[in-house]
Amino acid sequence: MKKISNILVFIIIILFNFNSFAEEKNYHKELITDWSRIFPDQNRNAAGPKFFKYIIDKKITYKDFIEFNKLYCAVSGSLIDPGSEPDFLFVNESETNMKICGNYYKCCIPCSCDIMKYSKVQKMKYEFIDGIKEFFVFTIKNPCNKNDFPNRVNKDYFCDGNKINDKQVYNLNDQIVIGLLHDGRSCNKDEMDYVKSHQVTGRYCELRNNTPLENLDAGMGDIFIKLAR
Amino acid sequence: MKSKLSNFLKKIILFSILIIPNIVNADFFENISNKIVNNPKRLSYGISVADIDQNEKYEFIVTGFGYPNLALSYDKGKLINVNSQKIFSDKFRKTIGVAACDVDRDGYEEIYFLNTDTYSGTKKYSDRLIDLEGKKFLDMFEIEKNKEELNLTAGRSVACVDREGNGEYGIYVSNYGGPTRFYEIEDNKIKDKSADLNLDKVTGGRAVVSGHILTNRSDIFAANERGANFLLKNNNGLFEDVAFDYRVDDVIQNGRGTTLSDILYRGRLDIISGNWLGYHRAYVLRDEKFKDIGNIKFDKPSRIRTIISADFDNDGYDEVFMNNIAEPNKLFRIKENGIFEEIILETGLEPDGFGTGAAVADIDGDGILELLISRGESKEQPLTLYKAKVKKDSKYLRIKPLNKYGAPARGATVTLITDQRKHSKTIDAGSGYLCQMEPVAHYGIRKNEKNFKFEVMWTNGKKELFNISELNKTITITQK
Repeated sequence: MKKISNILVFIIIILFNFNSFAEEKNYHKELITDWSRIFPDQNRNAAGPKFFKYIIDKKITYKDFIEFNKLYCAVSGSLIDPGSEPDFLFVNESETNMKICGNYYKCCIPCSCDIMKYSKVQKMKYEFIDGIKEFFVFTIKNPCNKNDFPNRVNKDYFCDGNKINDKQVYNLNDQIVIGLLHDGRSCNKDEMDYVKSHQVTGRYCELRNNTPLENLDAGMGDIFIKLAR
Repeated sequence: MKSKLSNFLKKIILFSILIIPNIVNADFFENISNKIVNNPKRLSYGISVADIDQNEKYEFIVTGFGYPNLALSYDKGKLINVNSQKIFSDKFRKTIGVAACDVDRDGYEEIYFLNTDTYSGTKKYSDRLIDLEGKKFLDMFEIEKNKEELNLTAGRSVACVDREGNGEYGIYVSNYGGPTRFYEIEDNKIKDKSADLNLDKVTGGRAVVSGHILTNRSDIFAANERGANFLLKNNNGLFEDVAFDYRVDDVIQNGRGTTLSDILYRGRLDIISGNWLGYHRAYVLRDEKFKDIGNIKFDKPSRIRTIISADFDNDGYDEVFMNNIAEPNKLFRIKENGIFEEIILETGLEPDGFGTGAAVADIDGDGILELLISRGESKEQPLTLYKAKVKKDSKYLRIKPLNKYGAPARGATVTLITDQRKHSKTIDAGSGYLCQMEPVAHYGIRKNEKNFKFEVMWTNGKKELFNISELNKTITITQK
């Protein structure tokens, strides 16, 4: 009996210790603290790729990588509040043109439409401190040759002359990685139907994606679109 | 069986006590607001502690926003307003920030009242710099030769900075939507030297503190809104902003209550800085960078206003009081190794309090700090006054350094050295958000602590070491 009681006390202590002392990593606070390191000129317009590069360059676990990537908007470059809900959507895979479904953490709903229309996804493999993992990332084409490169975006972040600036953003097969598609996988029919009939990814995006560029004022307006189209 | 169960329960209770170190449940404060004579509802803001009438007793100077500025003096067990002069009470100028220091080197502190009748940018009424001439207050800005230097920009906080370490205080005015000002008296005239000193930056100025942060001279940390914080390193009286290099720029947060505190009891001042609905910071200098060591309870975003670091209960460990507006206040004890232990408040919680400012002083001279909280902004409320419930056998020590002119040596650092700690405190220069504490380093004494000495680093960087022969007293020392 004494042995059992000691074991019980020990278990309670361990459980309590985990609850009381485990200081959970505050990913949001870390991004806020390092914001001026990520954006030295304080221009974060369409600079989701800067966040992605900053995160993947850290020596972190895959879990950390996932959590960090929930906290910025790949389209706008805005920080996202912890606990925000993602939109479930699909994007075409660059190589196969197959629809890949997954969760996208956005700052506002127009960004979901923009990412569906103007980005692609690619499968990426990367070695974290806890092993090699595969996941889908959003990408855009090399924008550095554009004559109409949006003037509100810091071109130096993305480009080194006509090439992608590998020091500032992540280059995957000559495309810029702008963010992570969470839980990415090939879509099944039900998932496709869900996305198409959803009030944001279906109806609202259809409206937004058929609006002339000069009339777009919600979300990032036309800044990301000019960069990514 | 019964005894086995009882043993088991005993173990559970014992271990529960051992494993709940981060929350302390006991009513910490006693509400002594009834000591304030004539305490109507009003809109109050910043509080400073200074001797306004040169009688060697400190008063709480409480600003009023459309209400009179007060000078609350302790007399016969009560706090009573002793000011009757209109230029001081100045009901119509809407004062929010206040700091006192000896700008004219006469050994007595002048009082800078920062008035703000608009949120940002150009304001209607300028600030006042109050001096006592005989028994009459005068506003130094109303003297004709000083009128060209009026501050007509909305602001928040003011702090005194002895930038050259010679006892000649300047006043850093943290403006909002207009350039920062830095006033000094030169050739018997008030001059704004902010441009000469490269301090005239436009930002959303909120809090400002000054003391030995990086160098052995008065450095400045300014917590700003809608822009980076400034960490102004003093290079022989000139300033260089090193906030980015030292990682305290915190660009996308909105600074509020800020104070200097020896978080690790290691004999140096670090920075505690609250952010409005953002993460509160406990910055500790390590390897030429500040690292935020605040834990998840400490850094939790709140509607923060003034932050105070002081030993309220005389146990030898500083507490951090967080005054929130329209949200419960918080209190933490700083334990060894920078552990912030939350003290759950009952008295002093003020869940419906619109806290706008707070200051500490041992106003009644009993060796225990009083905490005065001002409230207002969007709802008229009376002042509140608290005192910690202190153990009967507790001891204290208070060090009051005066500079070579005989004025409080604001910006100097006092370090208590014992067998248990090396504990630095700043002589508060203001204004960790609108407010300024008494110019005394107040220490509670730890259990079984011995071998007491203290060191003063004056604003010129020179250090002096003193022995302590007796506790439970205020030791006044004057700079040679």
